[in-house]
Amino acid sequence: MSENTIFLKRYDGSEKGFAINEKEVWRYSGYLGLPNADSELSKLFMQCVEELKGGFSYKVCYRRMAIGWENGMPVLPFASDSKGLAKCLKGSSEVILFAATIGLTIDRLIAKYQRLSATKALLMQAYGAERIECLCDVFCDEMQNRIQEENLRCTPRFSPGYGDLPLEKQIDFFQLLDCNRQIGISLNQSLLMSPSKSVTAIMGLTACPTGKAKHKCEMCNNITCAYRNDNR
Amino acid sequence: MNVLEYLKNNLVYLDGGMGTLLQKRGLRPGELPERWNLLHPEVIVEIQKNYYDAGSNIVCTNTFGANTLKFEEEELDKLIKAAIENAKKARDLSSGLQEKFVALDIGPIGRLLKPYGDFDFEEAVAVYAKTVQIGVKYGVDLIFIETMNDSFDTKAALLAAKENCNLPVFVSNAYGEDGKLMTGATPAAMVAMLEGMHADAIGANCSLGPKQLKQVVEEYLEYASVPVLLKPNAGLPRSEEGKTVYDVYPDEFSDDLSDYVQKGVRIVGGCCGTTPDYIQATVEKTKDENPRETEKKNRTLISSYTHVVEFKDSPVLIGERINPTGKKRFKEALRNNDIDYILGEGLKQQEKGCHVLDVNVGLPEIDEAAMLAKVCYELQAIIDLPLQIDTTDVKAMELALRRYNGKAMINSVNGKEEVMREIFPLVKKYGGLVVCLTLDEDGIPETAEKRVEIAGKIISVAEEYGIERKDLIFDTLAMTVSADKNAALATLYALDTIRHELGCHTSLGVSNVSFGLPNREIITAAFFTCAMERGLSAAIMNPNSGEMMKSYYAFRALHGIDDNCTDYMEHIAEYACNVPEGTIAPVLKDTKKNLEFGSELQRAIVKGLKEQAANLTVEMLKNTEALEIVSGQIIPALDIVGKGFEEKTMFLPQLLMSAEASQCAFEQIKKKMKENSTESVSRGKFVIATVHGDIHDIGKNIVKLILENYGFDVVDLGKDVPPETVAEAVVREHVPLVGLSALMTTTVPAMEATIKLLRKEAPWAKVVVGGAVLTQEYADSIGADFYAKDAMATVRYAIKETENK
Repeated sequence: MSENTIFLKRYDGSEKGFAINEKEVWRYSGYLGLPNADSELSKLFMQCVEELKGGFSYKVCYRRMAIGWENGMPVLPFASDSKGLAKCLKGSSEVILFAATIGLTIDRLIAKYQRLSATKALLMQAYGAERIECLCDVFCDEMQNRIQEENLRCTPRFSPGYGDLPLEKQIDFFQLLDCNRQIGISLNQSLLMSPSKSVTAIMGLTACPTGKAKHKCEMCNNITCAYRNDNR
Repeated sequence: MNVLEYLKNNLVYLDGGMGTLLQKRGLRPGELPERWNLLHPEVIVEIQKNYYDAGSNIVCTNTFGANTLKFEEEELDKLIKAAIENAKKARDLSSGLQEKFVALDIGPIGRLLKPYGDFDFEEAVAVYAKTVQIGVKYGVDLIFIETMNDSFDTKAALLAAKENCNLPVFVSNAYGEDGKLMTGATPAAMVAMLEGMHADAIGANCSLGPKQLKQVVEEYLEYASVPVLLKPNAGLPRSEEGKTVYDVYPDEFSDDLSDYVQKGVRIVGGCCGTTPDYIQATVEKTKDENPRETEKKNRTLISSYTHVVEFKDSPVLIGERINPTGKKRFKEALRNNDIDYILGEGLKQQEKGCHVLDVNVGLPEIDEAAMLAKVCYELQAIIDLPLQIDTTDVKAMELALRRYNGKAMINSVNGKEEVMREIFPLVKKYGGLVVCLTLDEDGIPETAEKRVEIAGKIISVAEEYGIERKDLIFDTLAMTVSADKNAALATLYALDTIRHELGCHTSLGVSNVSFGLPNREIITAAFFTCAMERGLSAAIMNPNSGEMMKSYYAFRALHGIDDNCTDYMEHIAEYACNVPEGTIAPVLKDTKKNLEFGSELQRAIVKGLKEQAANLTVEMLKNTEALEIVSGQIIPALDIVGKGFEEKTMFLPQLLMSAEASQCAFEQIKKKMKENSTESVSRGKFVIATVHGDIHDIGKNIVKLILENYGFDVVDLGKDVPPETVAEAVVREHVPLVGLSALMTTTVPAMEATIKLLRKEAPWAKVVVGGAVLTQEYADSIGADFYAKDAMATVRYAIKETENK
């Protein structure tokens, strides 16, 4: 793959892997388990799903780049002294950097329901969080399948703000991936992304085809995190 | 020759990709391509010369990201100067014999504007203005604004260009596969806005290959009255044996562009992945084509940030409810800065089927300009209907129009010379569809003929400003029939004449006709039908009037506008029988289930059933004191949920549903208390805000809701709130409690600064903090009084603090 090219992926949501994981939605909303299917809450969520039909614009831009190693630390396309990231990328000689978004429609609906129904706003938030994670999973699986032929496997993805990788690295990710032009994400002064349901991340490509890939949460030191997910 | 003159009789060829070619020449990942204007001018000149050699008439300078957000002003000046020199050198070196122009290329600044981002519209205008000023200083033939994926940002750039030069301006947007901009605008919406602001050519570039842009291009050709441009990508990049290739080759690309030229596209070129070969192939295939003339479409359009509303056969409904005239509650909302109430009125009208919302916030005691701009902005954050800006204050009108995202309706001008001279320049600058009242210095003429005469005068003055008839909509002024039996006839006759003889659209505030009569709705609706029959294009009306809505749906069904009477059948049931106001839907009684709870009302609140909670409260109020319901029913129900939440048997979504249900119950109680003028029970004031720099406010809103449930009078300052604003609010009313929320580690310093300022300015205030990144240690380190891990914790703390006092 040519290092200098940023590649684009678009999905319409009908592809394999895009089914809604309701359990995840409820987890993000703060609900443990699943509410009854005929409860008011479930009905409210079904309304959200209905309102957002066709409202997602799933896009990813990415590039594949070689990296080096010096004194146990990776030499990346951006400066980093993050030990967490070094651990994640261990054994990699290449990385994939990517940015993903599900579009702005959901932000509009969240803003609207903030004014109308706090519950619905919360469920929209949770649904959006589940969708963007789902998009990242689909994309990473696809990359994994593609590099399998090269006897490589992807490490878990790692994002600015995880562990000791500062959020300021967003600026580098945005430059390297030309996010605004490629998929319409922008970064604000506080390093928040718009659309809000967007992710930037890096993953290593290691040359050990055996062994199960670890889940991203396993790589994270924040073991008290409310969203930690150990049994996906 | 001027590029616009050349464009009159010729196809114009643009250049192709620059970024992709620079990458091939060694531009490193993350390196800013604009710096190559000085570092490697020879590379830039060579690429641009190749484009001129291939037949490009216009080559864009290598300044896509040249703005003050990326470069210091001194460097920016040098880079733009060099970029223009490079392009001119390429032009002079080229052997091509065609007309050649140099365009100052301007791409998006890369920051999303408020409300979805954090960048201010005027700041964006200032950033673009700087680039334009430097470009103009060093001499270019035109401005080329491209790859814009947001309508508001596009407006900022075009405004900056128009305010800083007299050069031709071409504007090109980047559409997604859904045929819309990233922020939702359709091509028609962009046409309406950009033509209103006098862009000289408009169209699409980047993101997709030529075939996927078919729908977008066709929509442009259908709506645009200025030349349409197209600059697609060479499809998508993919990797082949370690090399990047784009999946549309020059042959296919030029075939597609040639088709579009035959359909009427006048300006063509390429974007990412295209090279001089693509341009050359396109020139070869189209050079003998006779360019199609760009026709005036004469369509009357207004737009929001997503879509257009067209004035045509189907009458347009303009909701009149955002207006304080005669509305006590609305006036109170304006005085108290209660934007939520005003937005609620907007949302209700949208739900009722209005196509446009009139916005009037004129009240003598408030700053109308600031309020109008704010209300328009907040409405545009959550409602995608176009707005009709309604004010007699010219300053307020300009501010609102400037910041309006789209092409607005302007209410209004009239035949008075002075008013026209004030408003028409604004229309010319910002675009808009102007409501023209047929009255003048002598008042409202009694006869239809006189009103038509005034219309004629308005049309000719508008022409002086280059405002076309299609952008004028005439209101022939409905007068009350109870005062003059011929009043309605005069209005209708004038309307008919203006619509059919002068060829302009018409609008009426219909309800005036029935003033002074009993059962006004009946006369108003009948008049509405008469007016539609005579050619009424739009009505400013109350969508809550069932009679009006009946007339509207019936008229459309009878006039061949409603296919298969679909809309009629879908909506009419709602209006077919009048349900008297205050009728209550039956409450489901389920005694067995109620055993768990003290009452049905408690159950409704715990289960989060909003409607039931409201209805049960109304029932109960008939024989129970309001305060008794609060202390005996609502608070116990909230306690059940609150406790359940703390014990983790109930979860956040359930807590919120109950809070919403109890809010509905409270509304009924407040209503009753107002009737009886009982004093309200407040636990005191609580100021809440998401700190400066942070635009995520769901957590804050949750806390606010629960606090209100427990009887706190919450002053919500919103999100991204500077420390000074918080301190000011706390000091003004000597508020004892302040809640601050932050989502990101990057905004915690702003929280700390706010606390520091509060300690200085309002030492009495207790500060509670919360948000995703906060912990007890963090809260301690920034000097907060209390760290609340969730909404209930905030409530418990607030109650404890108020009871201590």
